[in-house]
Amino acid sequence: MNFDLDQEHLDLADGARDFLSASASPAAARSALDEGAGVRPGRAELIKSGYATITIPESAGGGGGTVLQLAVVAEQAGRVLAGPSLVNFARAAVLLENDPDRLAGLADGSLAVAVIDDHDPVLDAIGADTFLTLRDGTLVCGPGRVTARRPVDATRGLGDVTLGETTDLVRDARPRWAKAERVGRTILAAEGLGAASRLLGMGVGYAKERHTFGRPIGSYQAVKHMLVDVYVAVEQLRSLVWWAAWAADRAPGELPLAAAAAKAAAATTLELAAETVIQVHGGIGYTWEHDAHLYWRRAKTDRFLLGDDVAAFDEVARLAMGEAAR
Amino acid sequence: MDFDDTPDEAAWRAEVRSFLDRHPSAPEQPRAWQAILYDAGFVGVTWPVEAGGRGGTPMQQAIVDQETARHGLPPLINLIGIGMCGPTVIVHGSDSQKQRYLKRLLRADDLWCQLFSEPSAGSDLAALRTRAVRDGDGWRISGQKVWTTLAHLADFGILLTRTDPDVPKHRGLTMFVVDMKAPGVTVRPLRQMNGDAHFNEVFFDDVRIPDEERLGDVGDGWRVALTTLMSERLSLGGGGTSIGPKPEAVARHVAAHIGALPEDRQVLARQELGRGYVAALGARYTGYRQLSKLSRGELPGPEASAGKLSGTRSARDLTDLAVRVLGPDAATADAAWQDMQALLPGMAIAGGSDQVLRNIIGERVLGLPAEPRADKGVTFRESIR
Ligand SMILES: Cc1cc2nc3c(=O)[nH]c(=O)nc-3n(C[C@H](O)[C@H](O)[C@H](O)COP(=O)(O)OP(=O)(O)OC[C@H]3O[C@@H](n4cnc5c(N)ncnc54)[C@H](O)[C@@H]3O)c2cc1C
Repeated sequence: MNFDLDQEHLDLADGARDFLSASASPAAARSALDEGAGVRPGRAELIKSGYATITIPESAGGGGGTVLQLAVVAEQAGRVLAGPSLVNFARAAVLLENDPDRLAGLADGSLAVAVIDDHDPVLDAIGADTFLTLRDGTLVCGPGRVTARRPVDATRGLGDVTLGETTDLVRDARPRWAKAERVGRTILAAEGLGAASRLLGMGVGYAKERHTFGRPIGSYQAVKHMLVDVYVAVEQLRSLVWWAAWAADRAPGELPLAAAAAKAAAATTLELAAETVIQVHGGIGYTWEHDAHLYWRRAKTDRFLLGDDVAAFDEVARLAMGEAAR
Repeated sequence: MDFDDTPDEAAWRAEVRSFLDRHPSAPEQPRAWQAILYDAGFVGVTWPVEAGGRGGTPMQQAIVDQETARHGLPPLINLIGIGMCGPTVIVHGSDSQKQRYLKRLLRADDLWCQLFSEPSAGSDLAALRTRAVRDGDGWRISGQKVWTTLAHLADFGILLTRTDPDVPKHRGLTMFVVDMKAPGVTVRPLRQMNGDAHFNEVFFDDVRIPDEERLGDVGDGWRVALTTLMSERLSLGGGGTSIGPKPEAVARHVAAHIGALPEDRQVLARQELGRGYVAALGARYTGYRQLSKLSRGELPGPEASAGKLSGTRSARDLTDLAVRVLGPDAATADAAWQDMQALLPGMAIAGGSDQVLRNIIGERVLGLPAEPRADKGVTFRESIR
């Protein structure tokens, strides 16, 4: 067993970090919220960089890579609140396997795909022109009309979609749909991991600098212990994300439990991190100018995506009990 | 990244399994069981060969632990010796101490205990008062230890004492190996809240220890103790070991009882199981990451404390759920879960309380500033005034 990233993954993370921190930032997330500016780096840039299309086969113009590789990139995207999410790319790559034309469209950017779940609103509906959804067990595809909503987190591109004329793609697509959703949960959790670990860094940095009553606030246990709890949660989330991504690639039997666990842990960890870091920053943390609320918005939005954390914990429990009965 | 056994690990697992298949049950006598396992080469796997070990990897040790648990066989009796005392002797002991003690410790010919905590020195361990005074070619020890696990059975202990009260408190300490059967040692068992009596008060009344039983230099006891505490951290919280019940066992138990609960209670029980389970899996896979690092030869760092911190929490939550799904009956019934429930509060104290572990992680891992201390730069004598 070697449960650690390989050098190849670390190199990939470095490259993605450079690219994403040059092209996206909390400041960009703020102006998307303020002025309705587009999210950064945006679909076209993400595709051009090759990061969004890692899991699309080489034959269709993608990177032919693994979910773990995409998760490593997604963590870096989460750190800087990059958009659009890598989740739709990951899900579509699974849903469209055996559909080389559409996959190629996804990879060259001529199709801007979003996936519709039962629960609206749709992640990155804004800017999408092609929608995939499950209807009575059949995977269907079609154009749609998007109505934007007033966003809590503008980087998530949430909108309501009215589907137009659809084409049936795959009958009896439930298993594939479930797999795509689990891969999507894994990538969403990886983005949450990046956001939470960036928050932790912000909180720790500030706790070392800010002094009250003649000492750095990080020397007070009430502050120190809060940050340690975030650290522990972030490290556990990291382990669960890696496990889920590895399972997606190598152990499909473990993916349902691993993806549900990662999703649930991401929702609670990112929320804990955001709430904690606002508290640690005092009044500054509550201002529009500070980055904390942008991550807080992520937390408050992401927890609902791909099923909320309550549903994910329930799924973990059901899977665990099912496993135990066997 | 890879969860599969390497070919070496697979071969090792097969070796362990085939041995355990031939020993489906352990002898009643826990020392005898440890001796059997040692003679087969499965105790002290990571210890150096000169110390009586196998010179193996932490992963090999983890495989032994996994397989013994899978076969439903009991854990070893001499865990404090193996996890804490032995590693300290390996690093700081003289050649003759190593010769005398280590192999016998691994075979459970001798049981060991760790005599650190005192009534006025638990979290603040360096505040201890047990005195060691020079006496010819040896030392005389007087004082009291407390919470000493296994002292009532132990043959030897590692004993942290104060040899110089007139220097700052961390500098006046010295470590010894003490013979628990020596004249002047009195062990009085303490009953813990789960009803068992595994830990003890230990009184030292003018106990003589020859100088050759000193472990490390005079005044260097704190550094020696840090070796013990580092090993303790790892054996309690790191390397994929788990505290409390296996989450799978809790899931099985909840599955068996949840149907009898009212609908709304079932929903709550599933939420709690989900939360506890995710936390336990998070701790487990974080442990695997540490194990991977250790197997590459990296040293256990302060981050190993996180495993104990989160592990005790999720163990308590899951155990509480296991008790609660039994309904009001649980107020009197099901000894196994009740026992576990009454054991776990101690785990959040033993080997460093939750608060102390958070201080360690906050300061040593996150680099947050330490708290100001009232005892800094003053001698021990002054600090207790
Ligand atoms: C089951 C069990 C087995 C044990 N086995 C052994 C053994 O074999 N050998 C041995 O030597 N000892 C053993 N111990 C002792 C154990 O190490 C101590 O109990 C522990 O370190 C706490 O010390 P204390 O009991 O003196 O509590 P205190 O140190 O008095 O702590 C009391 C409370 O104050 C908090 N506190 C103290 N200092 C701080 C601080 N700086 N910041 C924040 N909070 C603080 C603690 O978290 C705790 O909640 C065992 C204990 C238990 C419960």
